[in-house]
Amino acid sequence: MTDLNLESIHMTKFSGFKLMVLALGAALLSACGGESEPENAAVAPAAGPTGSEQARAYYAANPDFFSFKTPADVPTDLVWEDGADLPDIGSPEAKKGGIQYEAMQDYPRTLRHVGPDSNGGFRNWILDNVAVMLAHRHPDEFDYYPGLATSWAVSQATKTVYIKLDPDARWSDGELVTADDYFFLFFFNRSEHIVAPWYNNWYGTQYTNISKYDDYTISLTMPEAKPDMLTQALEHTPVPEHFYAEFGPDFVDRYQWSFVPTTGAYYIKDEDIVKGRSVTLTRVEDWWAKDKKFWRNRYNADQVYISVIRDTAKMFEAFKVGDLDMFGLSLAEYWYEKLPDTDPDVQNGYIHKSVFYNQRPRPNYGLWINTDRPLLNNLDVRLGINYATNWDLVIEKYFRGEYQRMNTAFDGFGEFSNSAVRARPFDIDKAQEHFAAAGFTQRGPDGILTNADGQRLSFTVTSGYESLAPVLTILKEEAAKAGLDFRIEVLDGTAAFKKVQEKQHEIQFTAFGVFLEMYPRFWESYHSDNAYDDAFLEDGSVNPARQIKVQTNNLESFADYEFDQLVDQYTVASDKDEMVQLAHQMIQMHHDHASFVPGFVQSFYRIGHWRWVKFPENFNHKHSDSAGELFVHWFDPAVKEETLAARRSGQAFEPQINVYDQYKEEL
Amino acid sequence: MRLQLNPQTLKKLRRFREIKRGYYSFVILMVIVLVSLLGELLINNRALVVSYEGELFFPTYTDFHPGTEFGFQYSYETNYRDLQERFELEGGDNWVLLPLVPYSPNENHTVTGIFKADPPSLEQKHYLGTDTTSRDILARLFYGTRTALFFSLGFLVAVYAIGISVGSAMGYLGGWFDLLFQRVIEIWSNIPFLYMVIIIFSVIPATFSISTRIAILLAVMVLFSWTSMTYYMRTETYKQKARDYVSAARIIGASDARIIFHHVLPNTLATMVTFMPFTIVSAITAVTALDFLGFGLPPPTPSLGELLKQGTENLRTAPWIVTSAFGTLVVILTLVTFIGEAVRESFDPKKFTVYK
Repeated sequence: MTDLNLESIHMTKFSGFKLMVLALGAALLSACGGESEPENAAVAPAAGPTGSEQARAYYAANPDFFSFKTPADVPTDLVWEDGADLPDIGSPEAKKGGIQYEAMQDYPRTLRHVGPDSNGGFRNWILDNVAVMLAHRHPDEFDYYPGLATSWAVSQATKTVYIKLDPDARWSDGELVTADDYFFLFFFNRSEHIVAPWYNNWYGTQYTNISKYDDYTISLTMPEAKPDMLTQALEHTPVPEHFYAEFGPDFVDRYQWSFVPTTGAYYIKDEDIVKGRSVTLTRVEDWWAKDKKFWRNRYNADQVYISVIRDTAKMFEAFKVGDLDMFGLSLAEYWYEKLPDTDPDVQNGYIHKSVFYNQRPRPNYGLWINTDRPLLNNLDVRLGINYATNWDLVIEKYFRGEYQRMNTAFDGFGEFSNSAVRARPFDIDKAQEHFAAAGFTQRGPDGILTNADGQRLSFTVTSGYESLAPVLTILKEEAAKAGLDFRIEVLDGTAAFKKVQEKQHEIQFTAFGVFLEMYPRFWESYHSDNAYDDAFLEDGSVNPARQIKVQTNNLESFADYEFDQLVDQYTVASDKDEMVQLAHQMIQMHHDHASFVPGFVQSFYRIGHWRWVKFPENFNHKHSDSAGELFVHWFDPAVKEETLAARRSGQAFEPQINVYDQYKEEL
Repeated sequence: MRLQLNPQTLKKLRRFREIKRGYYSFVILMVIVLVSLLGELLINNRALVVSYEGELFFPTYTDFHPGTEFGFQYSYETNYRDLQERFELEGGDNWVLLPLVPYSPNENHTVTGIFKADPPSLEQKHYLGTDTTSRDILARLFYGTRTALFFSLGFLVAVYAIGISVGSAMGYLGGWFDLLFQRVIEIWSNIPFLYMVIIIFSVIPATFSISTRIAILLAVMVLFSWTSMTYYMRTETYKQKARDYVSAARIIGASDARIIFHHVLPNTLATMVTFMPFTIVSAITAVTALDFLGFGLPPPTPSLGELLKQGTENLRTAPWIVTSAFGTLVVILTLVTFIGEAVRESFDPKKFTVYK
């Protein structure tokens, strides 16, 4: 399991799925799975050195980075932490057993953790919500609790984090997880064979050394002692060295459908990958962490059956007849219209409705303007678009006032967020002023502005969120009032993701899922490295020959020489105050650049779930993002039978519509 | 100029009129087509007539009138419903005449303050209710149907033009041309049509205007649909070509073109006409299916398929959406089918034949 959560933190979790997850709630967690031998069998066995041999040769060639030391080399004055005092996660009442029925909209395109197409929502099921990392942020306390590590120690002076590994840890195929798998992680993610430039860059630049002291003690050294060094050091899942014996240039094809052994509770059997239809996760028998303090009450279902249901409405119907256990009701339409409190299933207590207010960085729903495109490279046009986009109306009338306006792309990071910056309101006059400054002064026969060349002020807004298409039609109608035309293009989630990764979009309505972390990331989405190849010449002027860079998260093609310098400073800064100050400065600059129209934030999630799905007393944890992600829920098969029988006979239970607002915050 | 029709054809037309069900269906459909041509006068958020400060305005087909023109503060298109209300409040000589349904298919209009599906309401003039973002269903239905109807007519013309040319040529010329095209058509017709449309349409850039996109959609559909007509035409032409009257014409010295256009084609009319309604039905169905699947016209273009989709998604909470869309589709397709039956029957030479 190669995944680095870091990375997922940053770059992945892009939109499509994650977004859907947020928009529609927990029921849409994606899925996928497995290894598929048949396809692999078609690939001839690789000749040449095995993955291990290649890795050893690589370690030997990079002795500065890969160090082999002895236990005596570990400093003795370290203060070891183990997070043992943190409260348990989940409920002690949780029972193991049952099957969780889930649905996904698209079948995953690969089971690899890295490389092309691996960044979809399916990651949640094999990686982000399942795989155990060295340590995890506690969902209430924000501090780290142990996963694969038992304890860790930070040495600020040497910018190094020392980590003791849990000798109990096993891969799902039974092999031991040892220090070698962390070494292999670096070899693997720095290899060009994985076709993942982001990983290559991250692992090539964000660490300067990994040392092995014995099989269960390692250390990682970073170039800078950042305030959240622990995040960088601990949020790793190793890569199973033994699994990648045939690692080579054909990695992408060879491992396309191979389920990578996991450190987590769920794995996928060959026979459970039914292409195009379903994937089933099975709980690892005798899972190594099943009795550990932070893991024992979680991952309770014996199996998770995830089938493809391409249509949200059908998914809801499947939920309504009891084929799915939970369904996200975050959209007002579902909460108030499709499953109102008066619904017989709710009134009779068969289906429970729950609202949960959480606290975490919010996904940045908004319009991402590709500034590489003609007209959109004009600041006045972008400012005009900002003023002509009526999010307030969408929030008030479509979302029924339940969401809030987002102010910057970096909301929810505490002091790192710049609360002085406010999103531009809908203002037709200001929009027209800016459009006029860009040369668009005349309204055409349809009311859309044109310039002296007869060019219409018209842009394509692409989105992969079928369920949010009405939002765009409302924006379109409103923008027309300011003389701006939005052409709406609603694509299938995967196609929209592809389009934006190829930088073919003009304006994209999307969001990045934001992970729980201390401060926002700027490099991925706003450094010119991710916008163009060689964006600037030596002296900081624009390189006229620069080429757009694809497959990055810089969706705005945002390239600003001064901003780059700030990002670089921010990257190397180790002082928190300095970082806060830099973040504020960059957020202001990004606002001034007007290449992003902040949309809305949602401070809660809502789900409907059948009576047999049980949640802990307080429902979920403070920083959770969806009802299912921590796997603290459990299933009671007896209750399921009882409920279904009661529903047939018309027997009613106490209706349950619960609001968990203990973590509600004013935005 | 008087249309010269031969007695045979006149007889067929007479017979068509006699088949009441088909005939009235035809009349009704023609009325629908005519009404839809004037749709902007019936269903539109632009006023028919505005009398303002002694001057008359007819905004329906003209450029937009900014609000400032009628004393509003805004520079975008006037909201004529507001204007009417204002004039009534002011009580002056100014007046507005609004269409029967004063909504455009794309505007979100709500009285509850929330964009959601509202049931039919006479008072609000949402005669069929609103869809999930508070757009008038009647307006969307009307313009969606109009698009589908004209789309299918265009489809019919194009498919017939190609199908008849190629089919007749195959039958008339025969030989290697026939053989070659038979093979081409065999291969071509095995390409799954709907998938091809979906694939091709998904790569068309969104920068194209709606009408261009409709034209492209039409072209693509024609490209994969012309084959069906060719085989009927080929058979028919083959049959006619072997008749004595064709040989006679040739002996007299008639050119190929004359034989084809004056002798063969008129005699294949029955085949052509019989298939017409079914071609229309298939075009309407296909374009509706594409929209339903989300591969048709981009939002917010009104379409039957999009309404059907919304309807099926809100089957329980807003049944008025699906009933409107489904009802319309049933009516149109039934009318066309009745016409088709009548046409087939009236062009069947064996009026009194009984199959045993």
